Amino acid sequence: MDKVMSNKKMIALYVLPALALVLALIYVPIVLTGYYGLMKWDGIGAMEFVGLDNYSRLVQDSAFWQSAYHALLLALFSALSLIAYLAVALVLSGEIKGANLLRKIYLIPMLLSSVAIAQLWLKIYHPTNGVVNSLLASLGFEGTIEWLSDTRIVLIAIFIPIIWQYAGFYILIYYAALKNIPSSLVEAARIDGANPLQIALRVKLPLIASVSKVTVVLAIVGSLKYFDLIYVMTDGGPNGASEVMASYMYDQAFRSFDFGYGSAIGFFLLLICLVVTWLIRKLTAGEEIQYS
Amino acid sequence: MFKKKPLTVAMTVALASALALTGCGSSNNNGNAAGETNTGGNAPAEGNAGGNAATAEKVTLKMMHLWPAGSSKQQNMIVNDIIAQYQEANPNVTIKQEILENEQYKNKLKVLSASNDLPDVGMTWAAGFLTPYVKGQLFAPLDDTLEGGLKDSFVSGTTEAYAVDGKTYALPLELNITPVYYNKAIFSKYNLEVPQTYADFQKVVETLQSNGVAPIALGNKDRWTGSLWYMYLADRLGGPETLKNAINRSGSFEDPSLVKAAEDVQALVNGSAFNKGFNGLSNDEGKSEFMNGKAAMYLMGTWELPNFTTNESVPQEFRDSVGFFKFPTIEGGKGNIDSWVGGPGVGLFVAENSKVKEEAKKFVKFFVEKWGEQSVTKAGVIPATKVDTSKVQLPQMYIDILNELGKASNITLFADVQMSPAVAQTHLNMIQALFGKEVSPADFAKNHEEALKQEAGK
Amino acid sequence: MAQTLAAPGSAARAAGRPAGRVFGMALLYAVLGAIAVLQVFPLIWLLFFSLKDNQEVFNMSPFALPTDPKWENYAKVWTEGNISRYFFNSVWYTVAAVVLTVLLASLVTFALTRMNWKLKKPVLGLFMVGIMIPIHSTLIPLFQMFMKANLTDHPLSIILTYTAFNLPLTIMILLGFYQTLPREVEEAAVMDGCSVNRIFFQIILPMTASVIATTVIINMIYNWNEFVFVNTFISSDGLKTLTVGIQNFIGQYTTDWGAIGATLMISILPILIVFFILSNRIVEGMTAGSVKG
Repeated sequence: MDKVMSNKKMIALYVLPALALVLALIYVPIVLTGYYGLMKWDGIGAMEFVGLDNYSRLVQDSAFWQSAYHALLLALFSALSLIAYLAVALVLSGEIKGANLLRKIYLIPMLLSSVAIAQLWLKIYHPTNGVVNSLLASLGFEGTIEWLSDTRIVLIAIFIPIIWQYAGFYILIYYAALKNIPSSLVEAARIDGANPLQIALRVKLPLIASVSKVTVVLAIVGSLKYFDLIYVMTDGGPNGASEVMASYMYDQAFRSFDFGYGSAIGFFLLLICLVVTWLIRKLTAGEEIQYS
Repeated sequence: MFKKKPLTVAMTVALASALALTGCGSSNNNGNAAGETNTGGNAPAEGNAGGNAATAEKVTLKMMHLWPAGSSKQQNMIVNDIIAQYQEANPNVTIKQEILENEQYKNKLKVLSASNDLPDVGMTWAAGFLTPYVKGQLFAPLDDTLEGGLKDSFVSGTTEAYAVDGKTYALPLELNITPVYYNKAIFSKYNLEVPQTYADFQKVVETLQSNGVAPIALGNKDRWTGSLWYMYLADRLGGPETLKNAINRSGSFEDPSLVKAAEDVQALVNGSAFNKGFNGLSNDEGKSEFMNGKAAMYLMGTWELPNFTTNESVPQEFRDSVGFFKFPTIEGGKGNIDSWVGGPGVGLFVAENSKVKEEAKKFVKFFVEKWGEQSVTKAGVIPATKVDTSKVQLPQMYIDILNELGKASNITLFADVQMSPAVAQTHLNMIQALFGKEVSPADFAKNHEEALKQEAGK
Repeated sequence: MAQTLAAPGSAARAAGRPAGRVFGMALLYAVLGAIAVLQVFPLIWLLFFSLKDNQEVFNMSPFALPTDPKWENYAKVWTEGNISRYFFNSVWYTVAAVVLTVLLASLVTFALTRMNWKLKKPVLGLFMVGIMIPIHSTLIPLFQMFMKANLTDHPLSIILTYTAFNLPLTIMILLGFYQTLPREVEEAAVMDGCSVNRIFFQIILPMTASVIATTVIINMIYNWNEFVFVNTFISSDGLKTLTVGIQNFIGQYTTDWGAIGATLMISILPILIVFFILSNRIVEGMTAGSVKG
């Protein structure tokens, strides 16, 4: 066993192609981003080495910290939403008639591109003929809620479509994980007299713990570097009220022609992700469970 | 067994590269499909294309622009038309187009600049947008192409917007001013007259508002839209020089008239002059409030003229009911009614490190001349070159606008184009904050002043 | 399959349930049904959207039927621009990148979870960091690299980028599944003298069919809808993908939304079909899994 599964040549053969690709196409940009972050550079002319100037500016930049706070909030909400997605997946993977069809339907929005999702939600939030306000008006609610232009509510308003957008993604992963549990284990628990809720909590959940851990990391890191819908729907506005780190970075690098500072933000964002991931792994560290 | 896996990978790679070759081989030579349909039967090019000998070396020119056939059909057709003419006159030249929409175009220009790989010919905006590229020595000076009469064919002041330190780096294709469009039907329903003074204008706003009509359509998510309102108020209060001087640092942004203009903006917001939720709506969404007759006025560039004249997909009845007026003057203000906000839009640049720079310059010159002859009649785009209204068939609104353009006392370039990119971002964010009442007029001015100072200190 | 196997048992139990249980089930179905309706809405909305002009898009409630369906939006999309060429490109970039990604990721995950070597943890860490970089930070460095390698305006730049950027995510998803696979099977296989390749391709890979289907779906959707890399690395019209069809209708000052809706509708149909087919594989994978248990 040990000898076969420790074959260095085979390990290299299995790992190196992917590693080479990732090192070349992701790590080189990461290193270069770190390098540009030490420069004063408009992305066009000559670079000038400025050491940690960009980072000291970053530390004092309240607009950046506001965007970081928004991104962290998004990460928190995304992580919490996983509970709901897991619940849906548990129901769908149980003995329910029509689960197969329901599952497919639930995942449809996931197929839409961000462009489509943004347009849909812009229509939902439109102040005068949008879906939400029309509904409120028909319920007798007076006054117009300006979902995307009121700085007090824009953040929550924009979080909803972002979190919804990923519903399919996580339900799909949980569903596959749950379906992967050998039915003999579930059957054994049932014979022992466990009810469906007990089976879900005591048998199924522990068995997909490692998958769940992965989804938590994905949800949090994905939120911290989130960009798409914010860029299309509010552009970080009004006045930075829905800005997140990635949209702020884009603004600095591509619109303000401050590529050095933008790169510093990008690199800092990476560091935040690293720290947060490390924390998650520390907090959730435990035995790996295997089917037996 | 051992060979199985590498084989699979090798096959995948082989398959990929085989497909890659087919993909490459069939890549086309001349932009998108709509272009190909009309590159055929065009009139032979005129002499000034300088048809050099067919024996000349083969030259390929890369051109990047932002007029896709889907959304900018007419512009796209003219571009293809001009290219066809040029290629006919210069059989050794092939012009390859790359077309991206506005935002993606700007992003790609950025990436290409950082990699020093700009297309031979491309589009740029004036002043603040262009300056970093000139400072980075990526654009070639085009003064030699302006010699021999081309300079005089431009409306005065337009090429200057693309000049840095006395050299011109791009030739403009568009010239726009921004009138206030209004819905005549709504105005007559409430017995309203076109306002001559700002006091009249305020009364119009009040009347419309009290009758439940949104006075002004605005989509301020895009932010430059709200900037137009601020710029006009600043111009009418302080005259055209005050804002220009504040930006070029011979004056201050904390000038009383620039602060007062900000106060006036907030007074309009307080009086519910704009449609609901304007700060979260895009220009397209804001415009629709005007286009569907829910809002009475709309301040926007003359690029909208086709929608009010020739565009068949807009109901005839609505097109007929649209008029325009000049932004009213303010009592006691220094501005005059013939002073406009506007300026040249996109212009053509030639890359400094282009391997075919001379050919590119020749093409740009040819392009600008040909463009000027047909852009307004065929695409409704007012060119930066002079248009003789007596010689062309145009809808009345175009003629009126062109006449106004002829007697304009001043055109102040859009603030976000005038300013350097970083300051422009501050300006745009401040505009949105001002309209949202998130910032006081005094702080609005102060933030501008700080950003401008910081930029000047760099 | 799963349902049919489980159904008789559950039906028998349901018969014996008290009325409260039945009510609970009814409530559950009502909730599930309501969610289903909500999730189908976007597709219906998109269909309506694609049949409207700008006037209707902006002035009507998003779920209102178009008064006069603008089928010409589809005609416009089909005739203007090179849509069949874009379609072909989208398909083959997506397929190539998905196959490459899922295969490479499976190999890595297998080595990380089943084989014995020292550098497992740091290597896993290297892959995980790959999901943490914002896309826009990578554009300029990547473009310059591809330029040096003469790969700009070349399909490989797209396929390799898609693969590299989806590998970390795919590995992470696979990881959760591989960790739970029983070791007995491969121990037996090793006893029988199987090679690593045989264990991977003939034993482990079939056991992970359901998660492979899952990652294929995820990768496919990401690649199919991607446009930032395509715009940046590709300049020839003949090499672009369906997502440029959208750009074709975004103007300098105005945008043709109906045509964009039609483009979106045309581009969602193929992946909708593939998704429905692959989606069944997730359940079938489970059946394969139950054999092993």
